[in-house]
Amino acid sequence: MPLDTEKTDPAWAWAAYQPDAQRPWDLRLAGHLYRRAGFGASWPQLQQALREGPAKTVERLLRPTEDVAALNRLHDEFEGAMDPESESTDTLRAWWLRRMMETPHPLLEKMTLFWHNHLAIPRNRAVHGLSVAKHLQLVRSHALGKHDQLLDAAVHDSAMLVALGGKVNRKAQPSLDFARAFLEELTVGPGHYSESDVQGVARAFTGLMVVRHRFRFVEREHDDGPKKILGRQGPWNGHDAVKIALAQPSTARRVVAKLYRWLISETEPPSDTLLAPLVEAFANDYDISGLVGTMLRSNLFYSQAAYRQRIKSPVEFAVGIVRAMETLVSAEPLGHELAEMGQDLCHPPTLKGWAGGTCWLTDATWIRRNNLAWAMLSGAEPYAGKLDPWAVARKHGFGTLVKAGRFLADLFLQGDLSAASREPWERAIAQVEAAKGNPSTTVRTLAHLAATLPEFQLA
Amino acid sequence: MVLSRRDFLKQSIGSSALVSASASLPCFLARTAAAVPSQVPRDDTILVVVQLAGGNDGLNTVVPFRDDLYAKNRPTLCLSGEKLHKIDGDFGFHPQLKAFYKLYQEGLLAVLQGVGYPNPNQDHPHAMRVWQSSHIKPDASQTGWLGRAADQIYHPPSARVPAVYVGQIPKPFTMRAERAIVPWVRSLDQYGLKGSVGEIRSAASDDSDQGRPSSRHEAAGSPPPPDTLLQFVQRVAVAAQATSQQVEAAAKASRGEYPRLQFAQTLRTIAQLIRADLGIRIFYAELGGEEPGGFDTHAGQALNHGALLEQLSESVAALANDLKQDKLLDRVILMTFSEFGRTVAENGRRGTDHGSAQPLFVMGGKVRGGLIGKHPPLDDLEGNGQRAHTDFRRVYATLLDDWLKIDSRSVLGEKFRRVDFLRT
Repeated sequence: MPLDTEKTDPAWAWAAYQPDAQRPWDLRLAGHLYRRAGFGASWPQLQQALREGPAKTVERLLRPTEDVAALNRLHDEFEGAMDPESESTDTLRAWWLRRMMETPHPLLEKMTLFWHNHLAIPRNRAVHGLSVAKHLQLVRSHALGKHDQLLDAAVHDSAMLVALGGKVNRKAQPSLDFARAFLEELTVGPGHYSESDVQGVARAFTGLMVVRHRFRFVEREHDDGPKKILGRQGPWNGHDAVKIALAQPSTARRVVAKLYRWLISETEPPSDTLLAPLVEAFANDYDISGLVGTMLRSNLFYSQAAYRQRIKSPVEFAVGIVRAMETLVSAEPLGHELAEMGQDLCHPPTLKGWAGGTCWLTDATWIRRNNLAWAMLSGAEPYAGKLDPWAVARKHGFGTLVKAGRFLADLFLQGDLSAASREPWERAIAQVEAAKGNPSTTVRTLAHLAATLPEFQLA
Repeated sequence: MVLSRRDFLKQSIGSSALVSASASLPCFLARTAAAVPSQVPRDDTILVVVQLAGGNDGLNTVVPFRDDLYAKNRPTLCLSGEKLHKIDGDFGFHPQLKAFYKLYQEGLLAVLQGVGYPNPNQDHPHAMRVWQSSHIKPDASQTGWLGRAADQIYHPPSARVPAVYVGQIPKPFTMRAERAIVPWVRSLDQYGLKGSVGEIRSAASDDSDQGRPSSRHEAAGSPPPPDTLLQFVQRVAVAAQATSQQVEAAAKASRGEYPRLQFAQTLRTIAQLIRADLGIRIFYAELGGEEPGGFDTHAGQALNHGALLEQLSESVAALANDLKQDKLLDRVILMTFSEFGRTVAENGRRGTDHGSAQPLFVMGGKVRGGLIGKHPPLDDLEGNGQRAHTDFRRVYATLLDDWLKIDSRSVLGEKFRRVDFLRT
């Protein structure tokens, strides 16, 4: 339901949701939370969320008790073994997808993806694969940390410098491309800086170099003279430029608005009034985890203004199916397939990241989604029967075809089907009852139908 | 105004071919599609751009056979007058461009001579990036010129894609867009909807118009409300099913005869997609393969170059004949380009090296056929190749402004004078 964000009371919107008789905590909301804070839930996760309530589930999503560090260390090692000379990130893409499918901390990967989109490194300039891997690890390590530390680390690193045209920042020839991208895309945004700010930022970043794919600060190339950035005068360096740009209210507002689109709704842009309390807090403490937590706990998040007000990206679509099926699939062919649907991880189209939203879906990408879901759920190559909806249904005690069908509707859609979808779904269940074939195959067909209902494309 | 379901579908998807397919569309989706406001009428000119990778030797493509300097510079590669398909007393097409010669005589083919840009780059990937991005200094370009054109045509939420790449090598940079997701089509099989969803949905059809969500608004005479997100997705689902059926029907109906050549099959696929009437305005295809590309004829040029030109011209002529059958040729313009021309002098290995200016071919029912622009003289060279007199972005601008009807400035970043190769 569209929300008039001008008229919504921010105090109500951002206060923590308390389930009551009118707005009970149910399967629908648990599924909603898991889609936004992760890549969708498995059946045990939905059940656990129902038992524990929203507050505890959000806490678990933010700070899981499982050993996340061990998994991430292992994956970091795998990524470190990439070909150091190659620009290809196909392997890296596969490892990341694998991490998304496997991690006990899906919110961390979801936020890594958020920052990957915000601090986008387009690949029109030659960036080495290993530099991209390092960049992603850096982003992940701060993804739920502090915005100031994240941005400072990201711009003092090889991948962003090369991708944004700041490979060489000499005193005699500061890189205006890099400085402009820093102001335009990473911080204050269009309309909040002047050409002289670009000059100032470019001079502040002099001395930053990428030599043999590694970041270096070359003291003698740094211009330590006074410069003016966004109204402040001083002998600024790169770290200062980051601090100054972050202190601008427009930077905090921008990130908060992007995160609103990411976690709450992409249909209605939020008003300044609605965002004001979050912007104020974030401009003060840069605390990403705090901001994410506030959003995920809020009344607004559990309202119609947020429910199914996003379109799943290809990655969310595919990883969601895999996680619901409690398994892993071969990530390399999956990475290729998702790239064909427009989401080539590690290859955002431009500095602005992916346009997302309704741009994800056209006739062509719909056909690919349909066929990917079929490839995964039909038990065919290259996913080789890793997904077995009949086995999952029986494991959770849904041992007849009809029960398995209802289970799948609950698992994939929390039973929330529109009238237009309910009709064919019920028809399919009726057909299943009459079916005489192999139950495993029949349930595969049902699972595929569930994954290709319009509702399932919404996050 | 009460519209039939067919009218609704036609309006919401904007396709005439769908009418025949709509009988088998799932009604539950058709009903939701009915609630969707109609899209603006399609402007249906189509551009097909063909990349000739490697650097085509324009001098042996359109040959100045009477020029003494030509024979002098090409001791072994020189093509003598009697073998050529003579355009006039001075110029002739390469012997293996027989099919192009015929198109030329029919007035369907223009040769734009001396196209390039000042201080041309002679490195394959860099020069290709110049042509694909339309920027002379392409390092900072994040998108291709056709990707930007696609973004100009694309108005999300839209269920249709404005551009498609058909080919066997990975999607070229030129199709990179900020918003539009340009499909890479290797085979029309990709358009098939797998699984049994279609059957289940079709079985769930009904004959009544009950529950048509837009009826209230029709009664009030007011336009229907904008899409909700769910309605948009439902609309895409309907469009996808229609697309799949239209492509299948177009593939079956295909009568055009194409030579058994990879590139001809690519153009055949494009013709089928044009016939399927999916609203695709821009197609991209390639001949020559991955870098450095088949046209990069440093040694033993004659055989390879001739074979490629024959493949090019026979395939394009097959496309022209195919499109003529359904009077589609007036809606289509095909343009070829290469990343550079080649050196005027041959290099001692019966080959030529990277040069500069080149002739472009432009083919279509609305093309003003003929030789357009002067043949650059062979005694005034740049980078050992012919000196360009026509900036390639003028050709792009003409195609954008006058053919696709897109403001060229929004794609190219500045205004360029048009080149006169379209019939008005």
